[in-house]
Amino acid sequence: MKSFQEAFALILIALVCGGAAYFAHPLAPSFGLDELSITLEEAQSEPEVFWIDARTDEDFERGHLDGAILLNEERWEDLLINFLDRWPPDAMVVVYCSSQACMRSHEVAERLREELGVEEIFALKGGWETLLEMGLAKEGEK
Amino acid sequence: MKLLSRIVYLALGATFIWAGVAKLIDPSAFLSSILTYEVFGYTFAVAASLFMPYLELCVGFSLATGFLRGGARWLAGGMTVVFLLLLIQAAVRGLDVDCGCFGSEAKASETGFLWPISRDVVMLAALFVAVICERCGRRKSEL
Repeated sequence: MKSFQEAFALILIALVCGGAAYFAHPLAPSFGLDELSITLEEAQSEPEVFWIDARTDEDFERGHLDGAILLNEERWEDLLINFLDRWPPDAMVVVYCSSQACMRSHEVAERLREELGVEEIFALKGGWETLLEMGLAKEGEK
Repeated sequence: MKLLSRIVYLALGATFIWAGVAKLIDPSAFLSSILTYEVFGYTFAVAASLFMPYLELCVGFSLATGFLRGGARWLAGGMTVVFLLLLIQAAVRGLDVDCGCFGSEAKASETGFLWPISRDVVMLAALFVAVICERCGRRKSEL
């Protein structure tokens, strides 16, 4: 019984610290980011989609979706100019990164929404892996 | 026996503290690692990415110092079993997971599953040894 009480105390301490980290940690993930997600089917049902590749420069060079532009946080300032030049304001913007687990697309989408006020912007569920699986892109294709 | 259990607890505690610190430096990277297991939903994964590093720190500190060690033993065993099950299911499903055990690491496609699974088995065995030695030491001192 004592052991369970001790375990409960440790869990409680960790919960309090985790809660504090959510508000105070500069790299804490956000619960709201998942609301930015969109499936490939939903994106394809839109009349016009402007694609953003949020992966690294090397991944983009190896292959990317036809028409997609590169915009990642490593070279944000340099690449943002290209985004502003080519962004059609009426189109839905969909950002993808490497897979379901990567968070880069969510972070880029969130940043564009906050800094530029882009409202119709989403992160693709499954990312590049889904695009490859659905045959919309090929590794090595530019 | 008592000395052996202390040494093993200290080593286990240090391992848990190391794992906790590595994760709490970048919770977003740990979140990405959790999502590669394709078991948890996004909301649960976010909560776990914030909570788990601190739980590991608390458990590590308790194992190493002896403060609330009874509870820490259960939690350490429980967490290691859960980590082990997650790795095994990922290996069976052929997922390319990032273990995330000690911060963001190389993907399973590069490192394989043998090392992280063996590591967890060794940790479980060490915990078992520490508990047995501790009990033997206690009985001896009672006699």
